[in-house]
Amino acid sequence: MKKNHSGLVMLGVVALLYLVLGILHPDKTVSALWASLGVLKMIIPILLLVFFLMALLNAYIDEKAISSYIGEESGIKGWFLALFGGILSHGPGYVWYPLLQNLREQGAKDGLIVAFIYARAIKIPWIPLMVTYFGWSFTLFYTFWVVVGAWVQGIVAQRLLRK
Amino acid sequence: MKQKLKAAATGTLKSLRMIAPMLLAIIGLIGLFKIYITPEMLRTLFNGTALHDMLVGVGFGGISVGQPFLSYIIGGELLKEGASFYGVTAFILAFVTLGVVQLPMEFSIFGFRFALVRNLLSLLFSFVLAFFITYCVRIFA
Repeated sequence: MKKNHSGLVMLGVVALLYLVLGILHPDKTVSALWASLGVLKMIIPILLLVFFLMALLNAYIDEKAISSYIGEESGIKGWFLALFGGILSHGPGYVWYPLLQNLREQGAKDGLIVAFIYARAIKIPWIPLMVTYFGWSFTLFYTFWVVVGAWVQGIVAQRLLRK
Repeated sequence: MKQKLKAAATGTLKSLRMIAPMLLAIIGLIGLFKIYITPEMLRTLFNGTALHDMLVGVGFGGISVGQPFLSYIIGGELLKEGASFYGVTAFILAFVTLGVVQLPMEFSIFGFRFALVRNLLSLLFSFVLAFFITYCVRIFA
């Protein structure tokens, strides 16, 4: 991962935003701060899992293996892994970004990373709720088209991002 | 092997240290959006026309934050209030695939070109898939 200072700048901007909004709407801003702490509490276990996976990946899986599973020569196996990995991954997408960038740096195809991120639109634990609100027919077509959409986006992104 | 694992753990901790400020900033923004952009605000913007509701759905889905189930609950309520099915589907898709709030983090980790291509494709596909999903539901249901 390349080192840059955009994170510190962004953190400064957000802190300033809280300060200004805190003066204008103190109650709402304190609620926002509590909401943020709730999000932080929720993502910590997933973040730990992601960084544990990153350490394992860096230690035991070499670039040759990555290339064979999700690199240029991965073929249909790579698409299958990206789509199912995306569907099965939990938590907010941004928690997975460092791991995905790590894989890119080790030779994973850009198209597969794009497909993985889009396939995350299918949330298996929330399917019963989707069925309750919108019915089986909507849920099945939603799932089918998101998988197709993730695959097509991966192919298009791979062409557009070819180095 | 032990040395390899130690080196990997050190590298991983370095990555964590690098993304921590951006991660905290994004979490701070998510808190603000959760409190300042309410479902009531969204309800007033949908009018039942397919194209208008799709545009509003993608726009607000893209800037809304929270657990995916929230988009289903808000979407269900929007349907009851007369929003078009196309718009609600676009809203759900944009809610889970686009993230204006986390864009700075995506740009900083993946680089400008990758993040731009990925987000533009997700934006386009929120419209395309909303159309296909709603069309299929109407034909087969």
